[in-house]
Amino acid sequence: MTDSAPMLDHGQFSKLFPFHFIVDADMRVIDTGSVLARVCPKIVPGALINDHFLLFRLASEPIKAFNRDFIARQENTLFVFKSTSTDLMLRCQVLILRDPERYLFLGSPWVRNPTELKALHLVLQDFALHDSTVDLLQLVQATSTSLHDAKQLSEKLEQRVADRTAELSMANAELSRVMRSKDDFLSAMSHELRTPLNAILGLSESLAEGVYGDMNTKQVKSINTIAESGHHLLALINDLLDIAKIGAGKMELELTKANVEDLCQASLRFVMEQAQKQKINLKLVMDNQSVMLTADERRLKQILVNLLSNAVKFTPNGGSVTLETKCDLESESLMFSVRDTGIGIATEDLKRLFSPFTQLDSKLSRQYAGTGLGLTLVMKLVELHGGSVAVESEIGKGSCFTVRIPCKGLDTLNQHNPSGTISLTEITPAETLPSNTPLILVADDNEINLMTVTDYLRANKLRVIQARDGLEAVKMVREHIPSLVLMDIQMPLMDGLDAIAHLRADDKHTDMPIIALTSRAMVGDRERCIAVGANDYLSKPVNMKQLVKTIRAHLPNDETL
Amino acid sequence: MHGMINKSIEDLVTIQFGADKWEAVKKKAGVTETAFVSNQSYPDAMTYGLVGAATEVLGLTADQVLYAFGEFWVTHTAFKGYGDMLMSAGRTIGEFLDYLPLFHTRVALIFPNLKPPRFECSDRHENGITLHYFSDRPGLSMVVVGMLNGISKLYKTPAVVTHTKFKDKGADHDEFLVNWGAADQK
Repeated sequence: MTDSAPMLDHGQFSKLFPFHFIVDADMRVIDTGSVLARVCPKIVPGALINDHFLLFRLASEPIKAFNRDFIARQENTLFVFKSTSTDLMLRCQVLILRDPERYLFLGSPWVRNPTELKALHLVLQDFALHDSTVDLLQLVQATSTSLHDAKQLSEKLEQRVADRTAELSMANAELSRVMRSKDDFLSAMSHELRTPLNAILGLSESLAEGVYGDMNTKQVKSINTIAESGHHLLALINDLLDIAKIGAGKMELELTKANVEDLCQASLRFVMEQAQKQKINLKLVMDNQSVMLTADERRLKQILVNLLSNAVKFTPNGGSVTLETKCDLESESLMFSVRDTGIGIATEDLKRLFSPFTQLDSKLSRQYAGTGLGLTLVMKLVELHGGSVAVESEIGKGSCFTVRIPCKGLDTLNQHNPSGTISLTEITPAETLPSNTPLILVADDNEINLMTVTDYLRANKLRVIQARDGLEAVKMVREHIPSLVLMDIQMPLMDGLDAIAHLRADDKHTDMPIIALTSRAMVGDRERCIAVGANDYLSKPVNMKQLVKTIRAHLPNDETL
Repeated sequence: MHGMINKSIEDLVTIQFGADKWEAVKKKAGVTETAFVSNQSYPDAMTYGLVGAATEVLGLTADQVLYAFGEFWVTHTAFKGYGDMLMSAGRTIGEFLDYLPLFHTRVALIFPNLKPPRFECSDRHENGITLHYFSDRPGLSMVVVGMLNGISKLYKTPAVVTHTKFKDKGADHDEFLVNWGAADQK
């Protein structure tokens, strides 16, 4: 100490260092701080400090008999003493005093949490204010409390996540249940709605054909309205079910290699009758006539027929509708464009064109019949193929709907193939199935029936050629020698009965299986058909599975697949 | 405001009135926190909002809520989080109250982002003390009264708290006389 250092009395010194102690050269206690004296009452002047404290060094055994030499050597290190009678540990700094030789230990208890304070019977006031031990204890306590709170918060959040997850799982389960119920409902409704509708359509057809006797003009008009409404309803149900299936992710595409020209021809044929009625010029323009496309043929045809039907429907008499195909090598896709010279669509209406049940002008709803689902279905089917639909239109000039279907390897597949505009009269159906596949001639003057039966048979791995009247049927049998003939009875130019009779009159065709197909369900029909040479007889509306079963039953064994 | 204050309001309402009431209080106050963390700082407006909402939801006066909260803070929340530290602050209620100014100084030292109130003690005698409360936050003196009663319960020493100076009536701070009679023993 210098002269300027403050001289403290014992009380002041003890207040500043309440845990200090002083020993002499023999390690006997000379003095202790007030709090140490209270906590360790046996450490009194004259007591040997070694009897009351063990000296700890880091990572070593406690030193029981420390002496002045040891302390002198360690003057600049930290001393940690452990009481032999209590849990008290003191961390101290030593100061060697001279004349007389004494050793002053200044320090405070080593405590790591407030609980240890309690065990040592210490309170915060026992510490000198300058001693940061209390601040550290308070900090430790605060940190510990914060950690506890954070843990609680984390648990609460985890619980909330768990609760929410459970709620979502329940909601998902409920949603799945509802979706299943919806699918079940749709499936049941499909059956329930179609069954009576088949009867309505079948009987309407029979009535219109005079099966149940002649009808007056009003009755004919009424029955035609019933039939038209029935077909409309059937189309609506089919479209709705398709959209529902796509929405539920249950529609799976049956991808096959399809001949694009065949596909276009078949689609155009579907609208040909209506186009002819309206004197609309139908054209097919292909930049490559031999292109093949991997797609679901039936669905692609559904897309094209929908667009073509719309085009014909909204094109005035004398206009034109063109189906155009174009290979886009850069994007490896095939473009189908349906262009018409119809009424056109206003720009502001284009946005809602693909929404369900949308006809842009309510007046059009009355003028042009439609389900209102056609374009929605087109869009969804195209998307299912990974493609897109674009539309360009101008009021009064016409519209052009372009469908893009991805087609990998287009460049290598379609080199050196000619392009051009094809007259529809030149169209002949081409088959993609092997030539040894049974060939079925379907003769029917009703385009819907023709298309339905053709699609179904092709889907069942049968090649199909078509005729639309009895004369054409006889001609095609002679040209193609089919494996079996499916003959409608009510047809123009030559009915089915006469056509069968003509064929049976030819020695070449006496063994050819012929199945008569008619909406006549009168007593004696079967016998009349069998009498002219039919091998079997089915009445409309025909069950498709039953039809295929019957066809297979009549095919020679080596021709069935 | 120190997170422990909000946490204490939550505990008080949840334990004494039910979890649904607490959710109603939070909703009314527009508070979306899932839980409060003790030593985090929250906006004062949130605490005032919770107290205001609690008065409406629980049908109590603001003073009742603040008093209940103050007492609950000491006996439950602070005791739960700082129990050993609290009980180490003094062997008697007198020693504890005498330590209160230092305790808040240390809180300010440890958490510089918090703004704790300041306390001073005067007129210490065997059975009583005068406590001076300085705070920039208005309207919370009833919390101090509740806390002092909580401390009295903690030390099992019945005490009478008298509010003798009121900041909201023009004084520069609030002042409380705390008298615990001859039963100061612990």
